[in-house]
Amino acid sequence: MIDFSLTAGDRRLIEVTRLENEAMRKHARYYDQHEDEIEPASFPESSELPDKMELMREIEDQTSGLVIAESLMDLEYADPRLRRTEHGLGDMIVGYAGTPEQLERFGHLVLAIALTEPGAGSDPRAITGSARYDEATGEWVLNGEKIYCSKFGQADGAVVLLKGESEGGHRPFLAFIVEKGTPGLVQLGQVKKMGIRNWDTEDFVLQDCRVPAINKVDADFGKTMVVFNGTRPKVAAMGLSIARTLMDFTRDKLKEAGVNVHYAAGRAKRSQLEDRLLRLEALHEATKLSILNCKWREQNEGTNTGATKVDAAIAKAMGGGAARRITQECMEMLGPLGLSEEFLAEKWYRDARIFDIFEGAGEVNRLIVARWLLDYSSKELN
Amino acid sequence: MIDFEMTEEQAMARDAMRDFAAAELRPAARASDDGATIAPELRNKLWSTGLVQSMLDEADSDQPRSRILNAIVLEELAAADASLALALAAPMSFVQAILDHGNASQRATLLPAFQGLDFKAAALAVMEPTFGFDVSATSTVAARAGDTWKLDGRKCMVPLAGACSHFIVTARDGERLRAFVVAANQPGVKVLPPKGTLALRALEMSEVVLDAVTLGADQQLGGEEGCDVQCLVDSGRAALAAVMTGMSRGVLEYAIPYLKDRVAHGSPLARKQVIAFRLVDAHMAIQAMRWMAWRAAWSIESNEEPTRHAQLAFTYASEQTMTIADEALQAFGGHGFVRAHPIEMWYRNARALGLLEGVAGV
Repeated sequence: MIDFSLTAGDRRLIEVTRLENEAMRKHARYYDQHEDEIEPASFPESSELPDKMELMREIEDQTSGLVIAESLMDLEYADPRLRRTEHGLGDMIVGYAGTPEQLERFGHLVLAIALTEPGAGSDPRAITGSARYDEATGEWVLNGEKIYCSKFGQADGAVVLLKGESEGGHRPFLAFIVEKGTPGLVQLGQVKKMGIRNWDTEDFVLQDCRVPAINKVDADFGKTMVVFNGTRPKVAAMGLSIARTLMDFTRDKLKEAGVNVHYAAGRAKRSQLEDRLLRLEALHEATKLSILNCKWREQNEGTNTGATKVDAAIAKAMGGGAARRITQECMEMLGPLGLSEEFLAEKWYRDARIFDIFEGAGEVNRLIVARWLLDYSSKELN
Repeated sequence: MIDFEMTEEQAMARDAMRDFAAAELRPAARASDDGATIAPELRNKLWSTGLVQSMLDEADSDQPRSRILNAIVLEELAAADASLALALAAPMSFVQAILDHGNASQRATLLPAFQGLDFKAAALAVMEPTFGFDVSATSTVAARAGDTWKLDGRKCMVPLAGACSHFIVTARDGERLRAFVVAANQPGVKVLPPKGTLALRALEMSEVVLDAVTLGADQQLGGEEGCDVQCLVDSGRAALAAVMTGMSRGVLEYAIPYLKDRVAHGSPLARKQVIAFRLVDAHMAIQAMRWMAWRAAWSIESNEEPTRHAQLAFTYASEQTMTIADEALQAFGGHGFVRAHPIEMWYRNARALGLLEGVAGV
């Protein structure tokens, strides 16, 4: 039955997340200014604050369901995080595509996923990094440059997507687990970014990096992409949340300056600033419902089934777009003082912009939706 | 608990209204707009959906009609034609207002007339003929005169005003807004002939003049205590959000086959990203509009910040509907501008829907 109410458990998880965000806000500027430092696995405050993921599992039956509950917490995302997330995208792939032997051997590792190259971002088919099988040693020889790899600094390694040797003019996607410390893996350190500087992002190079055959994961391009059906709405929620944090800040500061949003009046009785705040809030709510709808479907139909591919693309396209518009307009409404590093507003403005790019740019997600909506293949619409 | 799933009853109502609207309303839409009227048999067809009558049947049962169901069916009707959807939405909003806010005697005297087989017009009269009108600055005045009220003012854009037996008129009493049930044939009430409108032409929206209309105390909606007029406004905004969702969906569903078919510079228009992405944006916005409308309806039912949710749904839908109709017209080019296609009608309707207050209700 159509219902938009939050359960007691939902509300409790949101409350716990907000408390955590409040406590952590004091660390935000430090990690913005110290981008080479990776955040601790947990901050000292963790001794006083509950583990929200643990709490979520404990009170599952009081929530709208685990997938929705987690999304509600993502919609309260702030940085830095009190506790590091346990999993990387790479170990999620090993989790569903790995053999029992691989799970035994690699299951305990935290693995990033390495896809992007300097010449291949939105179009992963343009990847040039290569994998060659050496029959003499039974090893794979890996070469390539991988950039913008989230979580690589703190991870034990990565699932790296490369291309195999030509089979009838076609080079297949191949995936390998590459652990840190493997000879030939050269870490290049944290990427210097405009925003989300606390977000662990590294580049690395593979130079004749040799891995044994068991490191090859049976995850082709399609199987790798399935993981995005869950993470796209998640990342969209985080980006939207940063935008909402700036929107709340803007509303509070403008309120102090005498600007109040009234929901009862029509548009002729609103000031320009009131009207814009209202429109941005409406956009925020529309986007939030699109994300929650996707997560609701995922909860019903399974995370890695591929059933929510289009919904995930919609959530991400909406989230990325809303993050851009909301933060840009809020900064304009705040005026010159909003530029000051005395406040976090300028940081949130920088942070939010990436959310329409990583985890699938707005255009890539629109292509996914368009092909479904118009019944076109990727050849017919690209 | 967050859930987007319709009940079986809601899904059945949606399917039934979708089929009805496609078969009966869409084919009649253009002629109704051109003629600026709705033929009596078409009005009766609208009435034959039973949407108004069943509101009354269900009102006193253990399960009164869900507001979300109202939003669902309004979307379906409007997907075929917004004017015809509103022709039924207007009496629905009148009946809903009496059900929600009327006292026992108002319910007993006013509602039975809506149980019949023939279309029965009644409407809320909220908007006023001043440029920049805002619902929070109503200038129609209700003044107490002993046991009675005296009503003075002008209302405009009242749907099917000439056919209405009753209006619910909003008026200011000092700082407070009140609502009154006014019979069309009361002394001092004058319904002006329609002057024609840009859009939603079939609705024959016109002005209602209230010239020192004397009302009994029992004509105030809710009786002596009155009612919270904001509830009527909230309900109207939620309903219009649903209507705009439907109209936008109609635009998108009409545009897709055409744009896949129409070739320019060697390939179908829909295969060009600039067009395909606009269609995607429309699809995404329509879904979000729908959920916003449902949530507004839910918030009215559960009294969870209804004024806020209704305003947000209305604001978002107004903005998006205008964009969707505008981009569709642009994609059709000259075909969008000529009356051989319905796009130009929807472009006019899109501008109107986001401006109206009180013409519908959930």
